[in-house]
Amino acid sequence: MLISLSEKQIGALLPAFLHIDTQLNISAIGPGISRHLPHVRIGMPCDEAFHILNFDTAKFFHEGRDVQPVSLIARDGDIQLNGAAIFHEGGCLLAVRFAVSEEMFADSTMDLRDFGHADPVILSTMLIVLQRAMLEESQATAIELAHERQRSADLLERTSRLAGYMAHDFNNLLSIIRLNTDRLVRQFGKDAKIGKLANIIQEMASRGSDITQSLMTLSLQRTDTRQPLCMDAVINDNYGILDSVLGPNISLNLKLDADGRQTVVSYNDLLNALINLLINARQAMPLGGQIDVSTSVEAGPIHNDGAAHGAAPIPHIVIRIADTGTGMNPALLARAFEPQFSSKPNGTGLGLASVRNFAIETGGDVWLESIEGKGTTAYLRLPIAGQVAPMLDADIGAMPKNAPKVVCKQKILLVEDEPYALEALVEMLEAEGYAVTPCASGEEALVALAQEVYDVLLTDVVMPGQNGTEVAQLACTIHPSIKVILMSGYMPDSAALQPGWLFLHKPMESAKLLQLISA
Amino acid sequence: MYGMIHRAMRQMVHEELGEEAWLALEQKLAIGPTELLTGMVYDDALTMQIVAEAAARLNLSVEQCLFAFGQYWVRFAGQGSLSSIMKFTGQNLASFISNLDRLHLAVGAAMPGARLPSFATLENAPGHLVVEYRSDRAGLESFVLGLLQGLMDRFQARGDIEVLHRGEKSILFDIRYQDRG
Repeated sequence: MLISLSEKQIGALLPAFLHIDTQLNISAIGPGISRHLPHVRIGMPCDEAFHILNFDTAKFFHEGRDVQPVSLIARDGDIQLNGAAIFHEGGCLLAVRFAVSEEMFADSTMDLRDFGHADPVILSTMLIVLQRAMLEESQATAIELAHERQRSADLLERTSRLAGYMAHDFNNLLSIIRLNTDRLVRQFGKDAKIGKLANIIQEMASRGSDITQSLMTLSLQRTDTRQPLCMDAVINDNYGILDSVLGPNISLNLKLDADGRQTVVSYNDLLNALINLLINARQAMPLGGQIDVSTSVEAGPIHNDGAAHGAAPIPHIVIRIADTGTGMNPALLARAFEPQFSSKPNGTGLGLASVRNFAIETGGDVWLESIEGKGTTAYLRLPIAGQVAPMLDADIGAMPKNAPKVVCKQKILLVEDEPYALEALVEMLEAEGYAVTPCASGEEALVALAQEVYDVLLTDVVMPGQNGTEVAQLACTIHPSIKVILMSGYMPDSAALQPGWLFLHKPMESAKLLQLISA
Repeated sequence: MYGMIHRAMRQMVHEELGEEAWLALEQKLAIGPTELLTGMVYDDALTMQIVAEAAARLNLSVEQCLFAFGQYWVRFAGQGSLSSIMKFTGQNLASFISNLDRLHLAVGAAMPGARLPSFATLENAPGHLVVEYRSDRAGLESFVLGLLQGLMDRFQARGDIEVLHRGEKSILFDIRYQDRG
């Protein structure tokens, strides 16, 4: 005998214990039994109170020896006891405990007193119940965090929208100041004093413009101009940047034959697209090599909406970027432009997807051809906007002071709801030799479009009633050859711009506007 | 202390003063939902800052606020996701207090890093308990008094709680009570 324990001590360890004598009568019970099965009394035959599941009661002491598992169910009540039967000379100690169930926690029929201090099952069950409670709380916290995030996003969205509106209004004012200062210079610029004062006003307007640029950045607005750009010139001018993207082991070979053709794009977007295609090519050439970039002019249908049939052939510039890298298998090739798909371990899957968006937005398309082990060629096709315009990307200040007036009098439909801006623009354009029809609203412009054919539509975007993009869409429907130039300090939805439309950010410079009209 | 304590404090301020008061408190202390993560263990200094700020808004002293919060904590735990485990811990004042350490054993396993106190029942007679509270934290006597009062409320008992002795890391509480039923 290692240790001898009193009934009370056994009860503290095993509150639901039972002891039966050799006649199978109950000779001792734990406090848990007294609490939950009050009808069970000392001296009572055990099988009158309990059904012993894994023993034949008649052969209990014949079958049982040493220590054996045992399960009991109370005949009066829905209580199960599990544990061990410990046989000894004077009978058997049923070292059992109440079976633990979910309901027990929910219906409060039992509490911790009914389980022994060293009972590992009850500790683990409590742990599970606690963790479930914590999970519930964590879910509530996660929902709170999500709501908080949404609130922050809403606040940011409201702030940026407000910043956008402020930038729009401020840009309109700056635009009026700039245009009217240009008028002042045109009319009285010979007077040195007036010229000096006009320069001060122009400089302050430029500083104001810097502030609106910050507001535009805050409102996540694009501030770049969409204009006709000479493809070969852009590539040539940026050779250094494009070459640096490839690193020291890859050489860049240019063969530019687009013959000075232009396409209407945002300069930054075009450069980003080229860089993304070059990065993609570089990553396919871990051992280095050569990448060929070539341009050419072709005619054919462009399928930027995914439709392969029915597209009319249009002249376009093709940019080919060919690498001698690892190439792609057909499965990879099919998914290459999928957003967030990347075959590289650290790839974001955004590069080619953004090139595809750029191509579609500008009315072009992009695709890849690849042979495994030989390399990949990317084809980017962009519609041709017009003819060569060598002055377009030149420094504005380098323009001749007395540029020749328009020989053939082009007709411009001018839509601007700010009267002072409208007045200044009319005066400037008429001074340049254009025939201008001014309209103070989109509705007025639609009436004018129904009555006459115009070469150019120059319109503000944000206006009460019919807005500029709606006017432009209708103008293109009525006169498909009309050149559309949108001007705004705030572009609510860049997707509303159709391929080929030019876009000029306010506050604008007169010289830049004249370039776009004549381009 | 762990984040559930902060959540309970927020709930108490909500109930007493409204949501705006809690938002103002959060703004003052530069805290937010990330300081209310249930299973996260935060620096006690942050918890005490929250208590002090809540006390100022509730027009209570910090000690009074701790007492009120101790009392509230028992109600909070008894009504929320912890209600079943609270019931399981004990169904009368004496058994609940004597089982608190076993509850804390499970809490400690569920929240590693939590510094949990110990409650030992030194005397247990009808209507009379002597409870020894032990903790490595100081300054929470009012909170524990509030907890014990909250437990008396929970079991619909009434009576008095007195401090018999204050040790370096322990306090002896004398609880005399009678069941209302």
